[in-house]
Amino acid sequence: MEDEKRIRLLRVLDPAHDCPGYWERFRTEIMDRAAFELARRRDRARESVELVLSGWSRSLIPVALAAAVIAAIMVGSEAVRDSGPGTPLVLEDVLASDFSDEVLETAITGEAHSSSVAFMAFVEGNRP
Amino acid sequence: MKERTDAELVTRARSGHAESFGELVRRYQQPAFSIALSVIGRQQDAEDAVQESFMVALRRLEDCRNPDRFAGWFLTIVRNRSRNLIRRESLRRGDPIPASAANTGPSPEKAASLAELRESLQEALKKLSEVQREIVLLHDLEGWKHSEIAERLGMPSGTVRSHLHFARKALRVELSGWRDHVITS
Repeated sequence: MEDEKRIRLLRVLDPAHDCPGYWERFRTEIMDRAAFELARRRDRARESVELVLSGWSRSLIPVALAAAVIAAIMVGSEAVRDSGPGTPLVLEDVLASDFSDEVLETAITGEAHSSSVAFMAFVEGNRP
Repeated sequence: MKERTDAELVTRARSGHAESFGELVRRYQQPAFSIALSVIGRQQDAEDAVQESFMVALRRLEDCRNPDRFAGWFLTIVRNRSRNLIRRESLRRGDPIPASAANTGPSPEKAASLAELRESLQEALKKLSEVQREIVLLHDLEGWKHSEIAERLGMPSGTVRSHLHFARKALRVELSGWRDHVITS
């Protein structure tokens, strides 16, 4: 038997062979039956999005607050640092200046030597 | 517009997107019918099995771990549901005829002739193995290529060709007496 003839014969098994529009109606029936489950899935998907968003907001608000506090502290300490001497001092400048020997000795060996900030504050305070 | 892949449709259908699920139904209702008919051998039961299978697939869409291979996964559901339906054959008795089965086409005489032909075709198909019936119907009725059948049924292409060859050979014998005009009028 020719392939074509066999295929034509087998097509008789297709319900749409003698019933035009069969598969469209069949699909509509399935979609009608599926409507409830599809609606349930849509609801669940919407709830999932809401849960994710509310989860984010719950964790983001404290984090944002903490970040704001830290930023404020950092900005404050920067401001304190920036309020120091306008012209940076270097050791060569100090040695070449008109500081008295006592002041220089104290600056180099005394308490002012404990940190750069203390040293600079001491030098600034004793500038002639 | 670009046609969406099965994987895209499955992903959207999981979120309840009706059009995407409808597209999956449109793509696979006829191949599913061929599979169900191969297993059950009766049109009415095959339709029921396909409808049930789509409902089961929709409820279990999360179980389809590789949405790219939705076809193979779904057709396995169809095959299993069809086998279950055979076991529960009594369920068929007394079921209302769905609207899709309403006969709106041929005259009663032609309908009777077609019914007879269908019965004979199904008898002929019974001489084949289940997998041979599936393959010959997917190839001849649905127009699937060897490679598509192989991929979707999960078997080597050579095996598909071999099954198809033997199925055709057997059908050639079984259907040799049928006249062409019966179906073309």
